[in-house]
Parts: sequence; structure tokens; C-alpha cells
Amino acid sequence: MSEFMTGDGRTHINSGLMRESLVSKKLISETNKKDVRRMVPDVHMVSIGGQSIMDRGKDAIIPLVDKIAELKHQHKMVVGVGGGARARHTMSIGMGLGLPIGGLARIVGGVEENNRDILQFLLAPHGGITFVKDHFQDLQLFLNNGMIPICIGQPPYHFWEPPAVEGGRLPDNGPDVGLFLMAEVIGVESITYIKDVDGVYDSNPSKNPNAKMLNTVTARELLDGDYDDLPIERELLRTLENARTIKSIRVINGLDPNNLEAALTGKDVGTLITSSRHEQ
Amino acid sequence: MKKDGKIWIEGIDNELHGETLSSTNLRDSLKDKSSIQILPEVWVVKIGGQSVMDRGADVVLPILEELVEAKQEGVNFILCTGGGTRARHVYSLGLDLDLPTGMLARLGASIPVQNARMLQLLMAKHGGIMAYPEEFEKLPFFLNAGCIPITTGMPPNEFWEKSSAEGVIPANRTDAGVYLLGEFLGAKGVLYIKDEDGLYTDDPKKSPDADFIPEISAKELIENGQDDLIVERIVIEYMQRAENVKSIQVINGTKRGNIKAAFQGKHVGTLINA
Repeated sequence: MSEFMTGDGRTHINSGLMRESLVSKKLISETNKKDVRRMVPDVHMVSIGGQSIMDRGKDAIIPLVDKIAELKHQHKMVVGVGGGARARHTMSIGMGLGLPIGGLARIVGGVEENNRDILQFLLAPHGGITFVKDHFQDLQLFLNNGMIPICIGQPPYHFWEPPAVEGGRLPDNGPDVGLFLMAEVIGVESITYIKDVDGVYDSNPSKNPNAKMLNTVTARELLDGDYDDLPIERELLRTLENARTIKSIRVINGLDPNNLEAALTGKDVGTLITSSRHEQ
Repeated sequence: MKKDGKIWIEGIDNELHGETLSSTNLRDSLKDKSSIQILPEVWVVKIGGQSVMDRGADVVLPILEELVEAKQEGVNFILCTGGGTRARHVYSLGLDLDLPTGMLARLGASIPVQNARMLQLLMAKHGGIMAYPEEFEKLPFFLNAGCIPITTGMPPNEFWEKSSAEGVIPANRTDAGVYLLGEFLGAKGVLYIKDEDGLYTDDPKKSPDADFIPEISAKELIENGQDDLIVERIVIEYMQRAENVKSIQVINGTKRGNIKAAFQGKHVGTLINA
């Protein structure tokens, strides 16, 4: 039972953080737990690239949809999707009009909803269902009924998108980060980013024919190294470095859908990016 | 039609087309862009949770009275609320159960909404109206109607709140939400109403010898390594990369006149400058 404490002009509930400023570094590090609980640990988060997969149309989408339908019998999955060419068009027009970063973040999700609705339509015969923010806590209802929840990636920071760490006036947080954060609270078994390259290279493979693919790398190495271009958001790497339940992410080439099956069964495919937080 | 294996239509090309958005060169090329201010004449004001709301009628009512006077004198503002003691209690419960940061942020979001609703009931006769984040596009309507929009200070991150490097308490709480709202709106200013004169070298409630700091830069504040701050640490980080709100003021709302003076641009508390 909580006791009420008075005497300094405020009514406090006698709890661990009573009378504390939550800003104190001392207090914050005292809450530095090693492990946190997971919500639905036997789920896989599958992220489908907007530009890399959806913009390619049926050649890339249909084989992947067929594979997801097949894998559904062995794995519980949440499928997320990005915006692609229309997201870039949105931000380009929005920036030109002088919209602040929070304005761009508010509107960009609209084109991801297009892609989510397309995937839901295609996966509907196999249990595809739209999975929106307000139904986050209904996840088990969908999964236990054999459905495949499909969501957008953009996190709902909307007008509250923070000023960017990176240069330029683009939001740091995109669909890669949003899906990761959902996966972190769910406490997923794995998270896989499906792109149209085999993995992360030491330089951009479309510009440098000698580029070498990295089998495994830490997020910290990618952030500190000289990588002008990456197939995933940089903020995803910073987020992974601080994550508690997720220790690694995998980037695979979805133009061969067998790669997804390999990734979900833990095979060494594409690039595994690990968090250096959990290295020891 | 397709180009390079991707759906292509006339008009879809732009400076971001085909780019990964992770490219540092691309981002650098966009550096000189600037943005418009959405509501440049409006103040964003936070009413502290623990420091004001939890102190009850004696502290809350005079502050509201002064705010209503300011409104009647033509100052436009959006009122945001902190969480306070009940937020700390539910964080303690969540920490005890080893809940993740996103879940704590979700729990912490409910309390400032309670506080906002209390303020709305108290201010209804003076035009106090709840403005939920989903209704923010109606803010011009609320303000033009002479209302005082009241909302939660918490940003809508909830389950999407990131884990921090240190600790599991959400880094973005009501100070951060209020700051980001002001920054997004390109607001006239962001004002934090608390029960202390401003920033001290340590928590003045626990260390009576702590010195008052009337003005400080964000950089100094981060570098001087002081354990306790009067605003959430992440606000100081945001300020350093923000475009609009380069200065915030923390004032003592229990001293009559401070609020109206701050609205007139006077320095009555602690100014934190980017």
C-alpha cells in the first residue's frame, strides 16, 4: 500500500521516485537495469523496404507475399512497410514549401499507409490485417487467430519529431526506426530489414564495383566508420546501440524471398548488425 | 512504366528520388533550407506537475488567475501540463516490474492528461478548452475563438519511446514534449512555470546552500556535469540543434507577476540559451 506523505506543501505518494527530480543522473543510472520484460517474445518483425521492394511492383512484391504466406505456418510475424518514392516526393515538396521537420514527420506516414493497404490486400487471403497504433495492445488477438498484422513504419512522433542529429532538414526517424521501436517493446525474436541489396557493404555497391559485403558488423562501427551511404537509417543504428531487448538486426535481399526464410530460421544470410552494448 | 526496375511516372523525380536518406552527402546538400513558423505569436507554457499541480489550490489557482489576466490583456498561449507525483509512482511500479522504456512512456502519458483535464475544468469559464494532439490542426480555430488550448505536455511517443543509453526512464517526458511543440510551432517562446526561481547548482529542495543560476548556455549546462537540472536533459540537447526556439525560461509561478513579466520578455527566472 502506498502511503501519502505531506509536510513540504506537496502531496507525495511514497514511492521509489518520491520527491525526486527525474532529471538527476544519479537517479537515472540507479534505474539502469540489465534486462527488461518482453511483451510477445515469439514474434518476428519483418520490415519491407518502400523504395527497395514496394516501388519495384509485382516482380518483387508478389514472390515475397507468397513467401510470407508460406512462412506464416511456422512463424508468427508482424509485417511493416516504408514509403519509398512517394515518401521522398512528399518530403521534397514539403521541404520546398518550408515545412518544419515536425510537419514533414506528420505527413510522410500517409504514403506508407498506401503500401500497408496494398500489402494487406495482397495478404488478406492468408490473414493479412491492418495493424494500427491504437490496436498495438490487441496484437495477441491478431496473432492467436493466425493473422498477419501489417503496419506502417514511421513512428508517431508527428509534430514532436526532434530537431535532426544529422544534417539537412529531414527527420532522423523513419520507418526503419519506427518498426524497430515496436519490435523492442514487443521483445521480438528477430527483426529483419528486407531491401534490394545483399546486405551492408563497405561502400555503395552501385557506385563502387569493388565494394565488399559485411557479414557482421556492430552498429557502433557503422556509425563511427566512413560510410557515406547505408541501406538503413542511421538513427536505427543509434537506437539499436541503446536497445535492451533487441541485440541485433538483419539486412537481407528480398529479391530472393528464400532469404527471408533463412533469416527467420536464424541462418547466416545478409548482414547481421549487432549492438555493441551487448558485446561482452 | 518502370525505370531501373522501379515504378516511375513523370514528376516523381526530385532531389531525394532514388536516395537512401542515410547519405551524409545528400543531407549536407539540404543544410541551407529553412522552414516557416507555424504560430509565431503564440507562447507554449508548461505548468509543472510536481512543482505546481501537486501543490494544490494554494499554488495552482493564483497561477491560473495570472494566466487568465494575461490572456485578457491579449497574450496568446497554449497551456501544457506535467505529470508529477502520480507519474513518478507509476514509473516506480513499472521499474519494479522490469517494464521496458516504451511501456513506461505509455504509462507516464496518462497522468499529464488528467492534469490537463483538471485545468480545463478550472479554466472553462475563461475559455479553457482541451486540445488533443489529434486536433492540433484546429489550434488556429481555438485561438481565434479566444480560447485557451490546454493539452498534455507529453509527446505522443508512447510505445515508440527509445531506450536511453543510461537508465530505463523515458528521456522524453513533459518538458521535452513542451519544448518540441514550441519548436515545431515556431512559437514566440517556451515558458516553464515551476515552484523554484529557476536553475540552481543542485536541487534546492535538498541542498539549501545551492546557488541560483540566472542565465546559462545549453553547452555549459551539459559540460558542467551537474547532477540535477530543472528541465529534462534531452531538452538541452534538442536546443543545441533546433532552428526556432533558442532560449527557454524557467520561472517561479508562485511569485505573483512573474508570469506576465516573462510574457513581456523580462528575465525573471533562469534563461537557458542554445
